[in-house]
Amino acid sequence: MHHRMLDHFAGGETAVHRLDPAAKTVALLAAVLATVLVGRDRFLPLLPTAVALAAYHALARAPVWYVAKRLLVVSPFAAAIIVLFPFLEPGRPVWTLALGTWTIEVTAEGLLRAGHLAAKFLLCAWATVLLLATTRFQDVLQALERLRVPRVFVVQLAFLYRYLWVLLDEGMRLRMARAARDGGAGPWRVRFQSSVGVVGVLFLRTYDRAERIYWAMTARGFDGTLHGTTRQHMHRKDWVFVVAVCAAGVAVVVWDRAFYG
Amino acid sequence: MAEPVLELQDVRYRYPTGAEALRGVTFSVQAGERVGLVGPNGAGKSTLLLAMAGFVSAQGKIRVAGHHLTRGTARDVRRHLGLVFQDADDQLFMPRVGDDVAFGPVTMGLAPEEVECRVTEALAAVGLAGCEAREPYHLSVGEKRRAALATVLAMRPQILALDEPSANLDPRGRRMLIELLPGLSNTLLLIGHDLDMILQVCGRTVVMDAGRVVADGPSAQVLADRALLEAHGLELPLSLAAGNCGA
Repeated sequence: MHHRMLDHFAGGETAVHRLDPAAKTVALLAAVLATVLVGRDRFLPLLPTAVALAAYHALARAPVWYVAKRLLVVSPFAAAIIVLFPFLEPGRPVWTLALGTWTIEVTAEGLLRAGHLAAKFLLCAWATVLLLATTRFQDVLQALERLRVPRVFVVQLAFLYRYLWVLLDEGMRLRMARAARDGGAGPWRVRFQSSVGVVGVLFLRTYDRAERIYWAMTARGFDGTLHGTTRQHMHRKDWVFVVAVCAAGVAVVVWDRAFYG
Repeated sequence: MAEPVLELQDVRYRYPTGAEALRGVTFSVQAGERVGLVGPNGAGKSTLLLAMAGFVSAQGKIRVAGHHLTRGTARDVRRHLGLVFQDADDQLFMPRVGDDVAFGPVTMGLAPEEVECRVTEALAAVGLAGCEAREPYHLSVGEKRRAALATVLAMRPQILALDEPSANLDPRGRRMLIELLPGLSNTLLLIGHDLDMILQVCGRTVVMDAGRVVADGPSAQVLADRALLEAHGLELPLSLAAGNCGA
């Protein structure tokens, strides 16, 4: 089975693809900070980040549908919280629904807050997707290591990325094996029970596989520490890029604080 | 006679559930010897392999390259015993093939230039030269199997032990492996059911059943013994069966 990998477009040959992964990772962090540090309900200071990301996106030549699809995939997590704000935020009601003794109000302030949060979320997610659209995941991992992210987190990510697809394949095979026998139909109770079975079997197989991987690692001398080899280096253009992005990020935050308090 | 590179003496192991997996296995392998270990499912072949590397604590005496296996020497033993597991996905756990092949040499503490040299050499030996940057997930089953072999070759072990190396391989992948294996200078221990492959690659065959060694001798002799093979859930290799038909 084949899955479209997270970093499907990372093999490109544009100027932004060629930037040092560590520089891009720091730039991503700067963009995220410049976004989340903008004060509540203010949209204008988000504009420079949006323009910068759009420029990066254009330079990377990543298809819009590819990025949009990935944003859609991650948005439910944020959407679950964002949709509550119009109802929970006190303020001027713009729409009221009376249900007996209960009234539900959508407030103007709530809508503004939800819109602002959605904008911030989309900018952060866009920046992350763009990093992965222009950098191979393994290079991001190595960059994280160079940036002194604790090894245990990097290793966890590396294993997750390595085995996520293997697990997905296993899950899909189990589901196909079930569908081959029940034709995707059948009483919901039985289907529910078999779903529980599929999850259980998948868990056991994962557990077994983890043990076998550990054996394979210890068979080759693993003693708890992972040693890596670094092939990445920062060049002048990388320094210019990362300094420019960080300076722009600081400028946005200062502007936001100075003008809006 | 020189001291054997692998020596097993009365190796016994009982699963935590109580079932006996190994009931006193005894045999030894000389340096440079290529041995096939065959037997039906559940004969204890894979368990024996795990016991040799100290992954399951078996009773009895196990010596690998002069090291008597104990809890304290397991690391040294594994350095000399290159295990290639059945599922290559278990063996290839790093994000890039090159990193995976480098894993063993790096944990051995070799200098970066030496590591690089070994990675290039091991990948070339299995016909995957220049594949350092590829992701294991995107390799074919045959390529994965050969990459898994390279991860162990890079450590230059004295014994190479492969668990079912031809399982799930297409004929071309299998043929490639058969041609590849004799060229590797290591002592070879080949575990599996592919008797034709073992007949071609290994000069000696050990048959196991129900946790015991039931036959041990030249492959041409052991694998031609129809009665012995059938008594232990095996069949004559196709190449020999065809010869019999013609006779």
